[in-house]
Amino acid sequence: MSQRLIKTQSEFEGRFQDVWVLVDDDQDDTADTWGPDAQLRLVGRPAPRQDGAARAGGRARFTVDVRLPGMLHAAVLRSPVAHGLVRRLDLEAARRQPGVRAVLGPESELTFTARNPVLTAEPRYGGQPVAVVAAETPEQAAAAIAALAAEIETLPHVIDPEEALREQRFFGEPSERTRGDADAALAAADVRIELAVETPAHLQSPLEPHAAVATWDGDRLTAWISTQGMFAARDELAKTFGLRKEQVRVITEFFGGGFGGKQGAGWEGTIAAELARVTGRPVRVVNDRHAEQLDGGRRPGSRQTIRLGARRDGTIVAVDMDALVSTGQGGWASPVDVPAFTLYRCEDVRTMTFPLRTDLRPMNAFRAPGVMEGTSAFEQAVDELASALELDPLELRRRNHVEVDQRSGKPYSGKQLLWCYDRAAELAGWSERERLREPHADGLLRGMGCATQIWWGLGGPPSHATVRLDSDGHALVVTGIQDIGTGTLTAAGVVAAEELGLTLDRVRAIGGDTAPNVYGPVAAGSQTTPSVLPAVRAGAAKVRGTLLQLASDMFEIAVDDLSVSDGRVRSRDGAIDVDVAEVTERLGNATIDGSGSRGPNPSGFAVHTFGCQIAQVAVDAALGEIRVERIVAVHDVGRIVNPLAASSQVEGGVLQGMAFALSEEVVLDPTTGVPVNATLDDYKVPTIADVPEITIDFAPLPDTNVPTLGAKGLGEPPIIPTAAAIANAFAHATGCRCSALPMTRARVLEALA
Amino acid sequence: MTLLVNGERHQLELGTRRLVDVLRDDLGLLGTKLACGEGACGACAVLLDGRPVASCILLAAAAEGREVTTIEGLSSGIGAAVQEAFVAEDALQCGFCTPGQVVSATALLAATARPTREEIRVALAGNLCRCGAYPKLERAVLRAAGSGS
Repeated sequence: MSQRLIKTQSEFEGRFQDVWVLVDDDQDDTADTWGPDAQLRLVGRPAPRQDGAARAGGRARFTVDVRLPGMLHAAVLRSPVAHGLVRRLDLEAARRQPGVRAVLGPESELTFTARNPVLTAEPRYGGQPVAVVAAETPEQAAAAIAALAAEIETLPHVIDPEEALREQRFFGEPSERTRGDADAALAAADVRIELAVETPAHLQSPLEPHAAVATWDGDRLTAWISTQGMFAARDELAKTFGLRKEQVRVITEFFGGGFGGKQGAGWEGTIAAELARVTGRPVRVVNDRHAEQLDGGRRPGSRQTIRLGARRDGTIVAVDMDALVSTGQGGWASPVDVPAFTLYRCEDVRTMTFPLRTDLRPMNAFRAPGVMEGTSAFEQAVDELASALELDPLELRRRNHVEVDQRSGKPYSGKQLLWCYDRAAELAGWSERERLREPHADGLLRGMGCATQIWWGLGGPPSHATVRLDSDGHALVVTGIQDIGTGTLTAAGVVAAEELGLTLDRVRAIGGDTAPNVYGPVAAGSQTTPSVLPAVRAGAAKVRGTLLQLASDMFEIAVDDLSVSDGRVRSRDGAIDVDVAEVTERLGNATIDGSGSRGPNPSGFAVHTFGCQIAQVAVDAALGEIRVERIVAVHDVGRIVNPLAASSQVEGGVLQGMAFALSEEVVLDPTTGVPVNATLDDYKVPTIADVPEITIDFAPLPDTNVPTLGAKGLGEPPIIPTAAAIANAFAHATGCRCSALPMTRARVLEALA
Repeated sequence: MTLLVNGERHQLELGTRRLVDVLRDDLGLLGTKLACGEGACGACAVLLDGRPVASCILLAAAAEGREVTTIEGLSSGIGAAVQEAFVAEDALQCGFCTPGQVVSATALLAATARPTREEIRVALAGNLCRCGAYPKLERAVLRAAGSGS
């Protein structure tokens, strides 16, 4: 078998990177994509999770459950102020405490050279690690932290983005994106609106906090890390400690939620490895809840101002937006302006994004970073424009539909957004929308609002998989997937079973361990399904080919006259109909192996996911309470591999988006600059009692330009439009807008006053 | 002191430790999760004489003389039916909160064989699920109730 190198682009959250990909000459990814008429027996049918029983029975072992002989427990001293200076820290007193095996402070020598300080004498955000100890028990570790008798002087801080802007405190350069002349187009528009919206800092709040357990065996490091990117963690640890990749093993078999906030080895992975190295013992580092809410990460808060201009007929002619993003002490330019720049056809657009260096923890990813908060503001402005034009908000969106990605100029690979609008309208009863505003017996005000979603979701190479068929007719699929709760391992099993012609119960997919060195990407950016599953399919196709060859030899029949499905090998004439195991048992202890890899991405297309959500709300104007009665979510992500897990993804995204609109926000103490609600009691994530009726559908066609399943990612899309749809429904019900999310009772009462 | 957990008696030094720590660290019952440490999330729920409690804010000593049941003790009867329904309905995503959800749902069905949706919401309102499996949790409990008795 020969291979050739192809240069292609890999996509992650809209950032593109050139990559070289090795392609087998016998693996034709483009000709092979399952089209709309593909006869599939398993793909597209509901499949329960293969590890569901272990999770439901409490047998799943998460990083926080790892217990090793001789394991030490770490405790961390964190800054109580947003900006301070450590004046006193008694490391020696901590070392003298019973059971203490290691104490590290800002000045301590480390066994590696840190790129960023792992412990600081001048904390720049509340909760930043200052010192860490490792002791025999968690209680002894906590006692040692107290013995440090830290004195931290409070220094002036900046937590307000407007103040940071006045002081020109930027993290990176402000960025401007333009197309045409937005000022001139705005001036010439028939109708203009302007809307300013504030979005909150939003905490991922995974129930399993950031956690790591590290242990060394000579110069080999094994680390259990609660991370979305075990290979990134492996490479990071190898680099940090001067090891070969093969000397580091990262295990993430079960993972208690991340939502973007757990990337790479993390601070905890690095410090656990360091403490394990200096003590010669396994070390466990786990955030307590307060630490998790302070230092687990966040979607940065933003203040966005959007100006839109349109012709009388509803054609949008100008888009101008600026966004202040409270980036904190680090991060990247999150694409908050993408909806403004690309969602609707418009020739004259300008966006300005100001990433501000506030004294807050570095922002990090939270499900649909940038785009979700951007959509939350922009789609409210679009509704304001619809009001000004006296146009139906869905109709305005339809009139400004665009078939070309206005950033790249490339046509969309597939876009069923108009179908999504129609389907969502039908499911929500949009045509009866105005009747909601009539008086109701319960005295509540009702309204309905919509919002559009755009995201990427193509992923790309590299991703690998190995498929191994045993002589008993069962297959094992080894992947680089860390199944963070999305069910991607189950989906890998579905795809392998489909391609192998086996029943689902005869295929098992595994991941969560870097030891087999079967690479998979970080579980983020809606890229696992489109990146890894084609590799699984390619590996399975090779195994099927070998299996049929074996059967062909066995039965002395042409291979083209044989097929395999439902676990049986059959001949076209029906003369042969045997269980796969009857063929494979001839192998004895040998196995049929196939390795697959993700092929190149298509060129010439912009690959995106789309969707529309419609919210119906009821408002108690006396209490200022908004109750979401219903969300209709219709998304176009191409082919759906497992509708059961797909609907779970949508429900989860919708509920997180709903809470972003109504209850979740970080509240900062202006005196200390530290969050005052860094607990699960005060930071209001939704409960089962808050859940509205959620109605879900998916656009019918696969995206045949996406290799080789026609499936795009679904992790981010459902969270993106929910908050805007709810805010638009509130405005429809009341005629008012809250200037800031979340729309708490206080803000609602203020808006209605 | 003696603790009765999942039908077995254990002689333990309880001191002033939390029940969740004794279960996880002394007895190795790792299905019970610690997520908030302040009784706000329900991940650490166990049954105390059949009623759900947050083991992260309960002193282990307070459980002496009473019957503690953890997720590991719910492998038959209503608990098993609840677990099967969770899998069938996909009422779990990452699975970290799931043992606590199963404990609360089992307690509900033991007390109320045919709960209404409202009763399910009240019974599970103390169990946070950040992945948002709530719609399917409700369906799973209804399913388990239907399959029971």
